[in-house]
Amino acid sequence: MSEIKNVWEMTNIQFGFIVYEKCYQTNEMRTYFSLEDNPILGDRYREGKRHWTRVENAQSFRFDLKNINTGEVVKFDDLMGLMFCSGCLPDCELAVLQKKYEAERSMLIVAFGFFPQALTDPIPKSKLDILSDYFNQRRNHNRSKIIVASSTPIEDISRCRGDFLHDVDMLSQEPPPKERKQIF
Amino acid sequence: MTTQDLCEKLNLKMLSKFSHKEVNGVFVSDMISDVMAGAKSGNLWLTVQTHKSIIPAANLVDVAAVIITSGKDVPEETIELANKFDIAVLSTDFPTFKIVGELYSLGL
Amino acid sequence: MEIKKIQEILEASVISGEGILESKIEHIYASDLMSDVLAFGKADSILLTGLATQQAVISAHMAEFKGVVFIRGKIPRDGSKDFAANHQLVLLSTNFDMYDACIKLENSKTEKPSPSQKLIEPKKSEEILLSQDFKIDGSDFTSAGSVSTEIKSILKKIGFDPKLIRRIAISTYEAEMNVVMHADNATVTLSVTPQYIQVIFEDYGKGIPDVEKALQEGFTTATDEMRAMGFGSGMGLPNIKRNSDELEIESEVGKGTKLQIKFLI
Repeated sequence: MSEIKNVWEMTNIQFGFIVYEKCYQTNEMRTYFSLEDNPILGDRYREGKRHWTRVENAQSFRFDLKNINTGEVVKFDDLMGLMFCSGCLPDCELAVLQKKYEAERSMLIVAFGFFPQALTDPIPKSKLDILSDYFNQRRNHNRSKIIVASSTPIEDISRCRGDFLHDVDMLSQEPPPKERKQIF
Repeated sequence: MTTQDLCEKLNLKMLSKFSHKEVNGVFVSDMISDVMAGAKSGNLWLTVQTHKSIIPAANLVDVAAVIITSGKDVPEETIELANKFDIAVLSTDFPTFKIVGELYSLGL
Repeated sequence: MEIKKIQEILEASVISGEGILESKIEHIYASDLMSDVLAFGKADSILLTGLATQQAVISAHMAEFKGVVFIRGKIPRDGSKDFAANHQLVLLSTNFDMYDACIKLENSKTEKPSPSQKLIEPKKSEEILLSQDFKIDGSDFTSAGSVSTEIKSILKKIGFDPKLIRRIAISTYEAEMNVVMHADNATVTLSVTPQYIQVIFEDYGKGIPDVEKALQEGFTTATDEMRAMGFGSGMGLPNIKRNSDELEIESEVGKGTKLQIKFLI
């Protein structure tokens, strides 16, 4: 297999927070990217029928990928984050895949869009393939591959126990707990 | 310089099972976002983070090894995950600033 | 070493503290984890971090650092500058990454932090008697957590076991968030005796209709974790119970709630 090295590079990198908001009346959850400096956990405000409470600020970053041969920029501002599938639910389609890849030391990474848009309008496969290419092309160690997959097969996000590759508990004055809190 | 040289010279504890690799630089950060945005393939990653999510992050950016500084206890599930994906998890009792000086004097 | 020297070595821009660059620092501490800064950082240090948020600046201040250097060209926003200016902290920003910044400083023969950093041993035999009152305003989310932070810092200064302090910090934070979210205002009384530490939260608010039920795990619709953070109608009481040695609750609907939380020393 002939591979062209480093066709894609990260560009337009911005650091910020993935904000998770929950409405306890309707049980809805939504997420967005924020550049604010001092996000306040527990912040609440009302929007029509919904009372949004901020339940988590996860530090993260957003980026675009640039094709250095053609100059084409593919925007990834619809990517909330990448999650490592822990294979928590044996009957989950992604867990089955993860197990299969693990045998060859490859890794399944699940890409999520922002909620609730991600539920109806997931990130297209063509973009996820570009993301896989980006991660694989920059690898020196040909020991394994990265496969970026869509979060669509996850039937019930509240049962998923994967770990988002975000920074949480960094701002806490307490040492980080062993187990991360489950947000969904 | 390889991870093997480093382990011998800096007396690093090898916490996971892995194959030794060539090291081409060092990236210091406790933030996964920083590592994903800035570390290069073949870098050594110095951090005090021990949560198991450092392993997929280390694999994604293809670091040569992760060095956990300040003698932090690394949870068993982090090590198990590292074993599965051939990720070197090394450990030192020295804090980050001190180990950086040592790495520099080794020519990295 | 003067901060000015560090600024020169790192070719850093000054975000705040132009007038106090001559202050001297004793140690350099590199970390992005604020709990580590608070636990292991020594007074009169300078912090090197990639965490460009206000918490980094506040943590540096709480750990009695003299300044913060943000690496990789990161610059925190205005809130951090104001805080730094008010608390005599120098804020610098350098384009070097953490590794290069550490090397530059190492090469300039700075004093290195000692490899074995120990937590301060708690003093046990001393007879300590202390009583202090605090006020909490309901719905004041911007200062939510400030009373528990203050209580924590008081207990830390006295030198109690960090594990005990952590339990108290979690419990008081839960109780404080309850007040902020569910009550109009509250008075908090911290008392320290040789045998125990007691924190009383007395609020004026809607009260708890069924205390027994509120103490049950899973009373709320929120997840355990959210409840552990003080979210949801379960009011975090189970978490306070778990972390304390004695918990007494008196509540009257429409009037308020009194929580007496006791921790044995």
